[in-house]
Amino acid sequence: MRLDWSVVWQNAPALAEGTLLTVVLTVVTMLIAVPAGIVLAMMRLSGLRLLSGASAAYVEFFRNLPLILVVYWAYYVMPVAVGVQLSGFVTGLVALCLNVSAYNSETFRAGIGSIRKGQTEAALALGMSRWQVMREIVLPQAARRVLPVLASTWVSLFKDTSLVSVIAVGELAYTAMRIRSQTFRVLEMLTAMAAIYWALGYPQAKLVDWLHRKFPVSE
Amino acid sequence: MSAPPVLTYREVRKLFGSFVALGGVSMQVERGQVMCLIGPSGSGKSTLLRCTNGLETIDGGEILLDGVALARDERGLRDMRRRMGMVFQNFELFPHRTVLANVALGPRIVLRMDEAAARERAEALLEKVGLADKAGGYPANLSGGQQQRVAIARALAMEPEVMLFDEPTSALDPETIGEVLTVMKRLAEEGMTMIVVTHEMTFARRVADWVVVFERGLILEQGPPAQIFEAPHVERTREFLSHLGWEG
Repeated sequence: MRLDWSVVWQNAPALAEGTLLTVVLTVVTMLIAVPAGIVLAMMRLSGLRLLSGASAAYVEFFRNLPLILVVYWAYYVMPVAVGVQLSGFVTGLVALCLNVSAYNSETFRAGIGSIRKGQTEAALALGMSRWQVMREIVLPQAARRVLPVLASTWVSLFKDTSLVSVIAVGELAYTAMRIRSQTFRVLEMLTAMAAIYWALGYPQAKLVDWLHRKFPVSE
Repeated sequence: MSAPPVLTYREVRKLFGSFVALGGVSMQVERGQVMCLIGPSGSGKSTLLRCTNGLETIDGGEILLDGVALARDERGLRDMRRRMGMVFQNFELFPHRTVLANVALGPRIVLRMDEAAARERAEALLEKVGLADKAGGYPANLSGGQQQRVAIARALAMEPEVMLFDEPTSALDPETIGEVLTVMKRLAEEGMTMIVVTHEMTFARRVADWVVVFERGLILEQGPPAQIFEAPHVERTREFLSHLGWEG
């Protein structure tokens, strides 16, 4: 079998564009899913039945469905539900956000729950409102504590964005597969794709390790 | 007509499930008074302190601050908490903030003072508790005694009418207890109204104006320290003190 790597270089611009879209998807998903996760976690911990019930239902629903199913689901259901045909990018983004928000919610819930009750009491004793206590005392400490977990989620998400290729979003996986089917250079394109994911994923994973060491779970 | 007591407790009751933490406690704290609450663990003295600033809600009776019943709603409670400083057994400094920021946080967030004024007040208070040189450090780098002095400064930053101390030296190494008690003693001499839950009998004997002995959610006996420590009216008081090794 002869390998012809020139196909990779010839399609470098397309692959670069795909890679960029993968990064954009990851970043934008996280930018939405982190605040959404905080809101869901606070709803869950609010003590108000309706809010915490809604949050729990959401989280358990999306956390326990395969992401690829949510992607298809968004693709077919969203146009009907919203009444407009959304682009593949937006559809894919919605599906990723639905999934990652659910995970982030659980991460933040655990983080908030890990802050000692005495911290809240000390802040309340100063005369702070519940919201001020959350904003000034609990969330900043919880955020620090969940940072390594969020970073792990980030690395998973970076790879999971490849799933939106099934609805023709032109990110890295889709682009590589498209070139493969056009040129029939299967092994070269899969290898190139693997190399790019790995080269970008590895430093991120190392960053996570570093965060785990920098912010160990401790009192 | 004399001013009403800073704090008045009337038949205060508190239950945890079926456990009676406070079974009807009545007492009052006059302005400038230093009151020590003593008694065995689980006798209700800490619970009374926590009920005073609404960290626990009472199940019966009433607590009055300057003659006004303690608020039940969130906003009213907040206004009253501003007027009471609380010091906890485990310090509960905010570990993500510097020492200075810990002290300045209340004035800045709750009193909405501007940054510079809050900072100035915090610096003055750190000076007062002898920790001006630690202002830029983080709580984790301080000894227990130093952390508790910062916690006292943090409470004082709200310029409270009364300070509540919940076993402030119980979590400390013996060698740092003294520095905290010294700060508290100085505060007492300046005329601060204080309620102190403590097992430090020497402090209670020397600094308190009034000592209240708790047992099983009730007041066993109260009076000036000379009475409690030298000539208790109730035999149980004598027994409790002798268990602690107090010889009178």
